[in-house]
Amino acid sequence: MGHLIGKAYCIEHVVEVAKSIVLAIHKAPQITGKTKIEAEIIWGDDLVPIIEVLEPVAKAARYVQWDYETIKRCYEKGESPVIINIGGKVSRSNLNWNCGACGFDTCKEFNAYAKENTGGGQLGGPSCNWKIMDYAIACDWACAAAWQYNVDNRIMGSVGFALTVLNYLPDSDVKLGLALGPPRDMVYYSREEMHKDMTYEMDKADMVRCVPEMFTAFTGGGNPQYKTKNDWWAPPEYLNVGYSDAAMEMMQKVLFEEIPEIVVKHSDAIAARYQK
Amino acid sequence: MKKYHEDLDFRGEEYVSDWTPWSPQDIRRKKGVLDAARLMLNSAMTAPAAGGVASIEGHLVYGQEELEAIARKVEELAYKNKAWTEAFLYEAVMVRDSDVIILIGNTRCHETPLDGACGLCGGGLDCSYFYDRKKHRYGLVDITDRSSSRMIDGPLCTARVNDFGFAVGSALWTARTLMVDARPFASIGMAGQKMGYCPKSGMVVGVPVAAKSKNPYVDVNVDYHLINMDKVVDSARKIYQTARIIRGFDYRKWVPKPEKTEGEEK
Repeated sequence: MGHLIGKAYCIEHVVEVAKSIVLAIHKAPQITGKTKIEAEIIWGDDLVPIIEVLEPVAKAARYVQWDYETIKRCYEKGESPVIINIGGKVSRSNLNWNCGACGFDTCKEFNAYAKENTGGGQLGGPSCNWKIMDYAIACDWACAAAWQYNVDNRIMGSVGFALTVLNYLPDSDVKLGLALGPPRDMVYYSREEMHKDMTYEMDKADMVRCVPEMFTAFTGGGNPQYKTKNDWWAPPEYLNVGYSDAAMEMMQKVLFEEIPEIVVKHSDAIAARYQK
Repeated sequence: MKKYHEDLDFRGEEYVSDWTPWSPQDIRRKKGVLDAARLMLNSAMTAPAAGGVASIEGHLVYGQEELEAIARKVEELAYKNKAWTEAFLYEAVMVRDSDVIILIGNTRCHETPLDGACGLCGGGLDCSYFYDRKKHRYGLVDITDRSSSRMIDGPLCTARVNDFGFAVGSALWTARTLMVDARPFASIGMAGQKMGYCPKSGMVVGVPVAAKSKNPYVDVNVDYHLINMDKVVDSARKIYQTARIIRGFDYRKWVPKPEKTEGEEK
């Protein structure tokens, strides 16, 4: 007998669905059959370190901003997303295929390079491309499983970055986060959470910067005018290419000042969970 | 515009069986697999991709001669690397045992990278690992020199390869949903790429598909390239015929009978 009412049981059940999705991650077919994949589930207050890391990154990258705002606001509303942390061990090749996809003639040369260079990238790397294929198939099966359970979801490199710097899944060297729920339509696509944050001016500025050819006037002169306003000829504006102090400063500040501070705050507690 | 005419002559019957191979009833069955393979390829197109950028192309290959050509190419590759030999020879058998081969390729991993500074390719904080090892001018990669002796002309943009894995995963998920057997193979992908399939791609994966009583891609025996269904059938043809010719009689005049045992009626 029983009677489940309200919304809370629904939100709680996303965790159970996440457990089923983890089964799909481990069931996913592999090309090499030799790629180690692992997955964890994290939600509620345990998302705080991830949210804190995403906050400064969001200032530097728009796509991270949307992930950050969505996860944070859902959490603050008491409708925490449930995130599956998916990791893979891909930075060494035990295949001896010598296929060249990594840029080296042999797996041995790649492994020697990887030994010296592992851990330098924002999302990991270097990677054996066939192992990345196995890892990505597993991630895709997680997305497809979530889809079949009708839980809104999105696979996130932004969360993968947070997992990397906070050293979740310490045995893995590539990490992505699959955010699930809360149970409703369109959490991570056409994001309602962002409705009041995107002004027309921001939207337009993004379009002008990111879709430049739409705004370029006649190019025959070799220095085309750039159409950013209704009377785009008065005065004319031109596309300029140059180094951006502001962008580089922001990136440096986020990567080398703000994030290390957050990592130091959480690292001991997270490391303690993996102590055997 | 062409007008749709409904075919209302809706009657008929179709016999479908996987035996004998390449018979009309087997080809009807294969056509069902081809439908599934088409949907698998569509699924590859709908998989998530960084920035939502289209980067997938595919080839559907079917037919006895076409599959034989891929199988022979896989066998050729088998001898290029000791690490491949045993597995690739087994996988060539699987090609012949398939109904349709899907070749899925990523058109951007070698030429138009994500440029996302993710570090996945070489572990750095920018995309220099990729570009420093490519012929390019101001970031535009020149792929016209196709003389590389490598199986795959790396390095590749690993973020694109990651997207590529999503695509292959979606195709495999659809196979699972439609209850057709399928597995992803590097051997078939590399063979297909060398044969010119997925011509715009920097990396290709082969996904053979089959709907037979036994999944062709699991439960193989040792020396599978020497002992498999084709070889066993051929062996039956060889051995039984010889068993016939070592004895002979004119069956119209006399047929040997078992000896009568005591008390048995005539």
